[in-house]
Amino acid sequence: MPKEPGYRWKLGLFATITLVLLVIAIFVIGRQKNLFGSVFNISTVFRSVSGLKVGNNVRFGGIDVGTIDDIELMTDTTVRVDMVIQSSVKKFIHRNSVASISSDGLMGDKVIVIAPGQDTTGAQRAPVNGNEILESRAPIETDQIMVSLKTSADNAAIITTQLAELTSRINSGKGALGKLLKDTTLSSNISSTMKNLKKSSEGLNENMEAAKHNFLLRGYFKKKEKEKKKKEEEEQKKEEESSGKTPKDQKKQ
Amino acid sequence: MLTPTPYLKKTFYQTGDQIAFAARFFREVFRPPYQWREIIFQCYLVGYKSLLLIGITGFIMGLVLTIQTRPSMAAFGAESLIPGMVSVSVIREIGPVITALICSGNIGSRMGAELGSMRVTEQIDAMEVSAVNPYHFLVVKRVLATTLMIPLLVVFADSVGLFGSYVAMNIHSRSTLYHFFSQAMGKIDFGDIFPAFVKTFFFGFAIGIIGCFKGYHVSGGTESVGKAANSAVVSASLAVFVIDMLAVQITDLFNR
Repeated sequence: MPKEPGYRWKLGLFATITLVLLVIAIFVIGRQKNLFGSVFNISTVFRSVSGLKVGNNVRFGGIDVGTIDDIELMTDTTVRVDMVIQSSVKKFIHRNSVASISSDGLMGDKVIVIAPGQDTTGAQRAPVNGNEILESRAPIETDQIMVSLKTSADNAAIITTQLAELTSRINSGKGALGKLLKDTTLSSNISSTMKNLKKSSEGLNENMEAAKHNFLLRGYFKKKEKEKKKKEEEEQKKEEESSGKTPKDQKKQ
Repeated sequence: MLTPTPYLKKTFYQTGDQIAFAARFFREVFRPPYQWREIIFQCYLVGYKSLLLIGITGFIMGLVLTIQTRPSMAAFGAESLIPGMVSVSVIREIGPVITALICSGNIGSRMGAELGSMRVTEQIDAMEVSAVNPYHFLVVKRVLATTLMIPLLVVFADSVGLFGSYVAMNIHSRSTLYHFFSQAMGKIDFGDIFPAFVKTFFFGFAIGIIGCFKGYHVSGGTESVGKAANSAVVSASLAVFVIDMLAVQITDLFNR
């Protein structure tokens, strides 16, 4: 086959472009996995990592700053998690920071969240140097949630049985509340009592009228009537004055 | 008594010959003389000449995949996951396989026909007579060229495919190239890219060695050249799928 002119540089161009693309892809991924940037190591210890895997992300302030490098059982109750974190955030992570396990969304991967510690002063406030072991907060397992849910469900069961007893007693007319709602003689008694009360209050009214005409108390009642009349007159005057003013105000506005 | 039919016997003979042919490649590849110019020219034919075809198919591959997945992703409200999903499927599976299939059509058939017509016109016999090793002269450089160039073509197809996906994303929504690629590459891991890259070498080797074998072992008249080209394409495509299946199984074992 006759060789075309310039095949060598064309092949070179093609090979260079594709190799550059490959290298870019590898570096972009490597930067995400912190393979080529400057990083430091830090560890933490959990009782249980609840499904955390090597390669999961580490978050600080909600930002992905690193990945999990290694997960290792140390004793039967402790699991050590080694993390690789970008050096650029080193100065923000203090020695009293707390690591906890959280999940990325409802169904997402597990992540480690590093939160700043409570103590804002003192030697513990100094930034990490690397290779330290951070404090950890135990992750909330679904089992624990289930246990606490169960106790509240048990409590609810007790409350509802008691409530059922109470309502059945009320319905059967037992006790003060039951009497009030169910007993018909009680209501007729109450209505007769009310009638008696009405009668006696009418009698009291008559007595009061009689007392007004008594010579001992007559003076007091007359004084009261006079004061009443005075007040009414003053109020009338005020009303006249204010009604004379208001239309002007409205016009101004 | 059960006797193997002539067809079955022929198939086994062919398989044996094919394996011997492939084994011979590894013996001959390190043996001088190294024909660098010839190898580079074959690389040019395989790599550069397929570039337009691979580019167009790669672009359409990414574009179509994005458009097709959009409705089902939108049903979950997960449209932001499309770049990651497309990049994983293109880089892990679709890019390598589609590229290898197109190359087995394009390159495998050409090699089958080329070597076949050389055999039919007795050029290969003439080489043997004049003390030139025809296998070393004809087969080694071609197989080397496909083995080295198919991976590069796959990288090219993946990149163009992702660009096609970016274009398709912009049909319905607006996103910048940087935003799209950071989303797409965010889902990619070395566990995705490395096995996919390694298997493309095997694809390239299979395409080259099968194409050459079918051409090299042609017997008969001119019509057998066409048969050789045809069976080169069929066998190479089949081999690509078989290698892909094995590669997926092996990757899955290691990822566990």
